[in-house]
Amino acid sequence: MTVTESKPSYKYVGTRPVRHDGLEKVTGRARFAADLNMSGQLHGIVVRSPHAHARIVSIDTSDAEAMDGVKAVITGDDFPAVDPSHRQYDMCINVIARDKVLYEGHAVAAVAASTRDQAQAAAAAVKVEYEVLPAVLTIDQAMAPGAPLLHAHMMTAGANPPAEEPSNISNVTRFSGGELDAGFAEADLVIEREFTTQPVHQGYIEPHACVADTGQDGHTTIWCSSQGHFNVRSSTATLLGWENSRIRVIPAEIGGGFGGKTTIYLEPLAVALSAKAGRPVKMVMTRDEVFRATGPAPGTKLRIKLGVKSDGDLVAGDAYLIYTNGAYAGPGGLLGAMTVFESYKIPNFEIEALDVVINTARSAAYRAPAAPLTAYAMETMLDEIAEELGIDPIDFRIQNAVTEGDPSTMGFPFARIGFVECLEAVRDHPNYKAPLGPNQGRGVAAGYWFNIGESSSATVNLNEDGTATVVTGSPDIGGSRASMALMAAEELGIDVYDIRPVVGDTEAVGFTDVTEGSRATFATGMAVVEACRRMVVELRGRAAKMMGVDVDDIDWMDGQAVYTGSDGEKAPLSVAEITAKAKRTGGPLTATGSLEAHGAGPGFAVHLCDLEVDPETGVVRVVRYTASQDAGTAIHPSYVEGQIQGGVAQGVGWALNEEYIYDSDGVMENPSFLDYRVPVASDLPMIDAIIVEVPNPAHPYGVRGVGETGIVPPIPAVANAIYDATGCRIRDLPMSPIRVLDAITSNGGSNGS
Amino acid sequence: MAVRVHLSSNLRGPTGGVAEVEADGSTVGALIDDLDRRYPGLGDALRAGVSVVIDGLLIAHPEYEPLADGAQVYFVPQTAGG
Amino acid sequence: MSRVHVTCTINGDPAEFLCDGGQTLLDALRDEVGLTGAKEGCGTGDCGACSIVMDGRLLCSCLVLAPEADGRNISTVEGMATGDDLHPLQQCFLEGAALQCGVCTPGFLVAAKALLDRNPDPTETEIRYGLAGNLCRCTGYDKIVRAVQAAAETINES
Repeated sequence: MTVTESKPSYKYVGTRPVRHDGLEKVTGRARFAADLNMSGQLHGIVVRSPHAHARIVSIDTSDAEAMDGVKAVITGDDFPAVDPSHRQYDMCINVIARDKVLYEGHAVAAVAASTRDQAQAAAAAVKVEYEVLPAVLTIDQAMAPGAPLLHAHMMTAGANPPAEEPSNISNVTRFSGGELDAGFAEADLVIEREFTTQPVHQGYIEPHACVADTGQDGHTTIWCSSQGHFNVRSSTATLLGWENSRIRVIPAEIGGGFGGKTTIYLEPLAVALSAKAGRPVKMVMTRDEVFRATGPAPGTKLRIKLGVKSDGDLVAGDAYLIYTNGAYAGPGGLLGAMTVFESYKIPNFEIEALDVVINTARSAAYRAPAAPLTAYAMETMLDEIAEELGIDPIDFRIQNAVTEGDPSTMGFPFARIGFVECLEAVRDHPNYKAPLGPNQGRGVAAGYWFNIGESSSATVNLNEDGTATVVTGSPDIGGSRASMALMAAEELGIDVYDIRPVVGDTEAVGFTDVTEGSRATFATGMAVVEACRRMVVELRGRAAKMMGVDVDDIDWMDGQAVYTGSDGEKAPLSVAEITAKAKRTGGPLTATGSLEAHGAGPGFAVHLCDLEVDPETGVVRVVRYTASQDAGTAIHPSYVEGQIQGGVAQGVGWALNEEYIYDSDGVMENPSFLDYRVPVASDLPMIDAIIVEVPNPAHPYGVRGVGETGIVPPIPAVANAIYDATGCRIRDLPMSPIRVLDAITSNGGSNGS
Repeated sequence: MAVRVHLSSNLRGPTGGVAEVEADGSTVGALIDDLDRRYPGLGDALRAGVSVVIDGLLIAHPEYEPLADGAQVYFVPQTAGG
Repeated sequence: MSRVHVTCTINGDPAEFLCDGGQTLLDALRDEVGLTGAKEGCGTGDCGACSIVMDGRLLCSCLVLAPEADGRNISTVEGMATGDDLHPLQQCFLEGAALQCGVCTPGFLVAAKALLDRNPDPTETEIRYGLAGNLCRCTGYDKIVRAVQAAAETINES
C-alpha cells in the first residue's frame, strides 16, 4: 500500500476484519433471491420476442390460459398506458412491450403456473402475431438517411438548431474550450485515430430473480436481488400505476450487479401476475434471458484527434463519439464526452457525442459507464504520442495530468485528487522496469471516473448488551457491510465485531438511492457516521444523567463517557453500562442519519499490464498486472483491493474476448458463458493492487468511491501491451486471437499506426 | 448576493456562447430564476438534470443550496454510475 | 406424471426425495431437498456455481439428472463445515476476503476442496486450472487463489 498523505491514526478504519456476512456466504446459508420460496408460490415465465423489430399485431393468450396449472397470463395491456414524455417511459416499455418490440428477447407477455414446466409450456402457447419490421443493427445503419425509425417520436435532444424530424439519434452533447484551430496550429504533432467497440455484458453470476406476493388488500411484498430496492419500489410502482406505499421491497443478497441491477426487468411482471392469481409468484431468468434481455454496455464508434507540442504538452483535442445504448436513449454519449479529455490538461478542445438507438437490448450501466471506451481511444493514442516524442509514457502523462485547481472538461476546478500519485506509484513499482520475455509486451494506461453521492440513510440501534446494529439501505455487493461496521466502530468506540451491519428493507430504513456510482461506502458511510455522531450526543447525555453532572463535562473517548469536569474523579461509563440503564435514563438508544451526500471525490487509476502474445495463434495471455487507484481512505483495504482486482479482470475480458455477436436479423448468437467468454482463473495472473490514499476532503474519513474506476484502464493497458509485444495497434474490440493474428500477419509485425 | 456563474459548454446556448456570467441569488434556485430572467431559456436548461460545483463540492440537487456573496458556481451535467 | 424416488447420501446423511425424470440434480437439491447452497448461474455447465461432488467426482449439478443420484454419495457446500468448525477453505476465504458478492463462493469452495483432496499441495497454476470451471465476476480470482494456497498450507500443517 502507498500512503501519500498523512492521515489520522484510526483504531478500526483501515483494518481488515472478517466481513460480517461472510459466514453465511461460505456455508451456503446466505439467501439470494432465487433461494427464496414462499408458501403456495407460482412460477412465472416471460414470453419474449423472437424478432429484433416488429409491430405486435395481436396476442392470443386463450390457449395458454386453458392449460394445466396456469393461474395468470399478462400482456402489456395489463399495465397502464405510459406517455412517451414520461421520465421513465423507456424503462416502462422495456419491461413489457406495448405496440412494438424493439429487440430480440423483448418481453411481450408473462405466464404464472403451479410449476416451472407448466409455465414454460404455457408461455410457448401464447400466440403473438408480429408484423416484422426492418431491423437497425449498427450505428451506421441507424444513422443512414431513411433508416427505419425505432421510435416515431424521438427528436434529437440537445441538437442545435433543434431537430425538425425524428431520427434514431436520441441526443447530442457538445463540450468545448479554448480555440481548437489555434490549438492544432500550435501543435508539432497531430494524430487522428478511429476505434470501434461492441456491446459487452456485466456478466454477474446471479441471474435476475424475484418473488412477489400480492395480497387481496392490494399491497405487495417483493423479495429480489437488486442494487437498490427503493428504486425497485418506485419503478415498479410507476409501471403499475400504483402508489409507492402499496409496495414493500425486501432485499435478498445480490449476486453481482456492476450496474446491471440498477434497473428492473421482472418485478412489475411478478407483481401483476401475483395480483391476478392471488398467489406469490417467483420469477428467475435463465442465463440466456440475462444475455438477450438485460444490461449490455454500449457499443461505440470513436474518432479522436490530438495535437501535442514537441516538448510533450498536449494543446488540442477533438473528439467525435458515437454510443449506441441499444433500443432506447441512454447516457453513453454524455458520459463519454464528460470523460474523454477529463484526466488531462488540454487547453483547446471540442467534443461532440451522439447517442444512437438500434434494435438490440436496452443498455444498462456497467461500472464507470462509457469511460473504459473513451480511455481505450485516448490512452492508446497517448501511448503512440509518447513513443513518437521519445518520452516515457508515465512521465508524459504526469506532464499533462490534471491536478488540484485544473479545470475539468465541464469547467469546474478539480478539488484535491490523486492522479499524479497513482502515476508515480506505478512508475516506482518494480513491475515497471522488470525484464520482459520473448513475445511479451508492457502497457500502461490511466482511467478516471466521477463517482456520485446521492441520498442515503442509516439507523444505529444500541442493544441492551452494549452492542450496536447499523441498518442502512444500501445492498451489499462487495463488502460494504464491513465498511459500515468499521466506520461505526471508529465513531462509537465499539469493537467492530460488536456491530451488526444490516441492509434494511424499504419499510425498515430511510430512503436510500441505488448502490451505484461507487457511492455506498462514500455516501451511506456518511449517513452511518452522522447517525453515530448523533448517538454519541445521546450517549453523553445519558452518561451525564447517570453521573449527575453537566453534559458539557462529558467527553466521548474510546467508547466511553469520560468526565472532564473539576468535581472530583468519576469512573468512565462504557456503552454497555449506559445501555444497561437505558430504561431509567430515557429509553432505547437509537439514532438516524439521512443525507444527500455532496462532494463525491473523483477516482483515478493507473494500470500496468505485462502480456505475452503467441505469434502462431494470436492468443494473448496476461502474465503480470499492477494497478494503482486513489481510494481516498481505504476503510477495509481487502475489499478496496478486491474492487481494483475485479475491475481489472472485467476490463481484461472486455479487451480480449467479450462481445455481443448478432446474426443479420439481430438475433444474439452467443447468449451463454460458453460462447460469451469471461475470464477464468487460468486466464489471469495475480493482480498487484496498490491503494493510493489522497483523502477526499468532503468525507469524514476521506473516502472516495472505488467500485468503478478500476475497469477504466485495462482495455488500453492491454492494447498498449499488445503493441509493445507485436508492433500492432488494434483499434477494434475485442482484441481476440483472430484479430491479433490478423494484425500480426497483415502488418508483418511492423508498426500498425 | 452577486455570484459568478460558470456554465459548462453544453449549457451556453442561451448566453450566446458566453461561459461566465454574473447573476444574483441567495440560493441556487434563486440564482437560476435570475439567470432565466437575464437569459431566457437558461432556467429550463439548468433545472433539467444539472448539478453544481461550489467550493470544490459536487452537489447533485442544489436548488436550496445557500450562496455566499462572491460565490463561484459551476453548472455541470448530472452524472450517473454503475 | 409419476415422480421418481431417489435414495442417496447427502453430506454424510441418508436422504431421499421425489423428483421428475427430467429434473436436474441442482433443481432437486434446491427445490426438493432444500439445500440452496449450490446456485444456478447458467444451467449449462459453464459457470460452476452449482458445483457438487458425487462419488468423489466434481460435477456441475445442473448437468446431472436428479434420478442419476440414486444410490450415490453427494457432498455440497452445506456439508463442508464439521459442527462448529469451518473447513480450512471456508476459514481462509473469510480471512482472505476471497468473496465479494458471494454467489459463486459455494461452487468455488466445493471445487477447491475437490482439488485439494486430489492434490494437497497444488502450485498456483494448478489451482488456477483446477478452478477454471468456476466463474467469479467480482474478485479477479487473486484472493480466491491465495485463499486456496493458504488453506492448503493449513491442511498440510495439521
